[in-house]
Amino acid sequence: VSFLRRSKFEEGGMMEVSASNNVSLREFGCEQNLLSRPDGSASFVQGDTSVMAGVYGPAEVKVSKEIYDRATLEVLLQPKVGPAGVREQSQEQCVRETCEAALLLSLHPRSSLTLILQVLHDDGSLLSCCLNAACMALMDAGLSMSCLFCGVTCAIGADGDIIADPTAAQEKESRALMTFAIDSTERRVMMSSTKGSFSVQELQECVAVSQKASEKVFQFYRDSVRRRYSKNL
Amino acid sequence: LASGMFSSLKEKIGEVLLPGDEFVFESEDTIFLTDNVKPERPVCGPGLRQSGNRLVVSKSGVLRHKPPHTFWMDSQQWRYVPAKAETVIGIVTSKSGDIFKVDVGGSEQASLSYLAFEGATKRNRPNVQVGDLVFAQFTVANKDMEPELVCIDGSGRANGMGVFGGGGLLLKVSLGLVRRLLAPQSDIRSDLEQLFPCELVVGMNGRIWVRASTIQQTLIISNLLQSCDTLTAPQRREQFRKLQKGGL
Amino acid sequence: MAAGFKTAEPLEYHRSFLKENCRPDGRELSEFRSTTLNIGSISTADGSALVKLGNTTIICGIKAELTNPTVDAPGKGYIVPNVDLPPLCSSRFRPGPPGEQAQAASQFIADIIESSEVIKKEDLCIGRGKLCWVLYCDIMCLDYDGNILDACVVALLAALKTTQLPEVTINKETSAPEVNFEKKHKLNIHRHPVSVSFCIFDDSILIVDPTAEEESLSTARLTVVMDEEDQLCSLHKPGGTPLSGEKLQECIKRATARKGEIHKLIEKVIKSMKTAQ
Repeated sequence: VSFLRRSKFEEGGMMEVSASNNVSLREFGCEQNLLSRPDGSASFVQGDTSVMAGVYGPAEVKVSKEIYDRATLEVLLQPKVGPAGVREQSQEQCVRETCEAALLLSLHPRSSLTLILQVLHDDGSLLSCCLNAACMALMDAGLSMSCLFCGVTCAIGADGDIIADPTAAQEKESRALMTFAIDSTERRVMMSSTKGSFSVQELQECVAVSQKASEKVFQFYRDSVRRRYSKNL
Repeated sequence: LASGMFSSLKEKIGEVLLPGDEFVFESEDTIFLTDNVKPERPVCGPGLRQSGNRLVVSKSGVLRHKPPHTFWMDSQQWRYVPAKAETVIGIVTSKSGDIFKVDVGGSEQASLSYLAFEGATKRNRPNVQVGDLVFAQFTVANKDMEPELVCIDGSGRANGMGVFGGGGLLLKVSLGLVRRLLAPQSDIRSDLEQLFPCELVVGMNGRIWVRASTIQQTLIISNLLQSCDTLTAPQRREQFRKLQKGGL
Repeated sequence: MAAGFKTAEPLEYHRSFLKENCRPDGRELSEFRSTTLNIGSISTADGSALVKLGNTTIICGIKAELTNPTVDAPGKGYIVPNVDLPPLCSSRFRPGPPGEQAQAASQFIADIIESSEVIKKEDLCIGRGKLCWVLYCDIMCLDYDGNILDACVVALLAALKTTQLPEVTINKETSAPEVNFEKKHKLNIHRHPVSVSFCIFDDSILIVDPTAEEESLSTARLTVVMDEEDQLCSLHKPGGTPLSGEKLQECIKRATARKGEIHKLIEKVIKSMKTAQ
């Protein structure tokens, strides 16, 4: 993993997202269009967590999965080791339904879209990193979307403080863990997946933190896409 | 009038925009009784959608403009989606009855009637084999119907279309590169012309067929074209210059 | 006429009701279907409950077995929930290995048990590193008419509350477990989570306790799980159209009211069972 990061991201330029108004995220990195076979690909790095995403489609669809008025989206999440289990499947469902809401699937009826997410390294906030990689890969594939989305994970520590984009160690110490997908137009909650118990007040604070953090992630998206297109201008 | 929107759109020409970015029309509830000119609305090309009084970006890329009011997003994309009147390079995959099935790289195979060739009649069938390359144009291409190709223009002439491709090489590049090659003043094309003579067939579906006088030259050109996607303009010129010095 | 309209344009059919702030089955937008509960329905299980939420029927059986604790948690027992959606309950399910929905539901129930700490896993341990209980919570859907998650959580909670485990001691000399079936005691239920599911129609209209048809026509689903101390155990929204903060607040408010109703229901049924005996 470290090799990949060094070679791919050195010239690409990393971004430090940090404490201006108490939401601090780890260092982000993203590279689009790095695989030659898929129609769109992206890798996304949050601190030491790293996910690679590839998109195929719109391609031919199996008759059994054909939907007459929109494209069929399939999401596959491959863990770093071993086969995908039940947890991966529920995460696949979360990513798929988030993508379905953002994509304009009715533009490609009776075709299939396949999104493959390969976990390269998990150091916390994995689901949000998957969401971010998915969004960048979908954009890279040139699929029409009504809005963008980003994933933000918040951990509530034992003493009640909220940590955005936690590491695996911080996740382990936390009392509750929440991952939200936020949309780019109105900063509303598209997806929510939580672990542990928390009060309503804490939930609201975490949503607010995620919304604030999403601004930074979307700005990062914009900067990376700009960097990508700077070659062809 | 929508002049407010136009100025905000024009400010962004050449800039990178992302899906979800939107432009809002100036309120048009004031009706100009004296003015019988219709309020001008922008024409949306690929990657832009109009809904109500908003213009929303749906693909990431660079905003382009063609006077007077046409706007579109120029984006890098690999997968081809058929569009009417576009010319593409297809590969014949099967013959069934009166039609050929042609792979154009989209989500569905296109059909090509055997009568849609110059001079073809019921008795005089064109000589098309499975595996042949055809340069053809879409007459039907929309999301709800099977795409249809023809190898003749409106007046029944081949006009450059039809079966082709002996001794050449077919390669796949991004759709953005193809559009840059086909642009009226293409700098890549003019750079290529200075190298050595070659034949190029460029399909809007990202397929390019190349043939030069020797196999070596064909390969050189195909490698150059494939690298153009990732090179900036100065880098590309440097490559071409190196080749011209070393190769000739 | 109405039947034809419903078949041809199901979405329009529902919309025309929602416009009038009601639903095709006569409920208001924030009204649950009638919930009935029956406990101890399976005599061979250590605890069981049957829940009906409108037509949706869920049965939950709990079977306790003795086993060795895992190496990384020697002082804890464990709970294994499983949600089964057999072909019997709806034509949408095929025989064979569990489908995506069944797996997602199983994962959801497992997450709730983990997050809410319904049962302290330490309570299930009999001898540290030697012996513990494993609770198999098998939840089966008998009739699928939407909103199985809410019904599953009620069934699970009621079944756990009725579960009685025999006393087990470890013989000091032979170190073999001795089970005393005469002396049974109840599980210690620490928290009482209640789940409340919502559907979002046309990106804005929020309805509670959706039927199967409403679920398939909606643009997003949301499940809020809350315990008696107003602590949230889960806010599960697997994608779909976005939801604003105010709407989220509305959902939580509805969940707060609902959890009281369910707690009352469970207490009432358990009390009536006791007096019947």
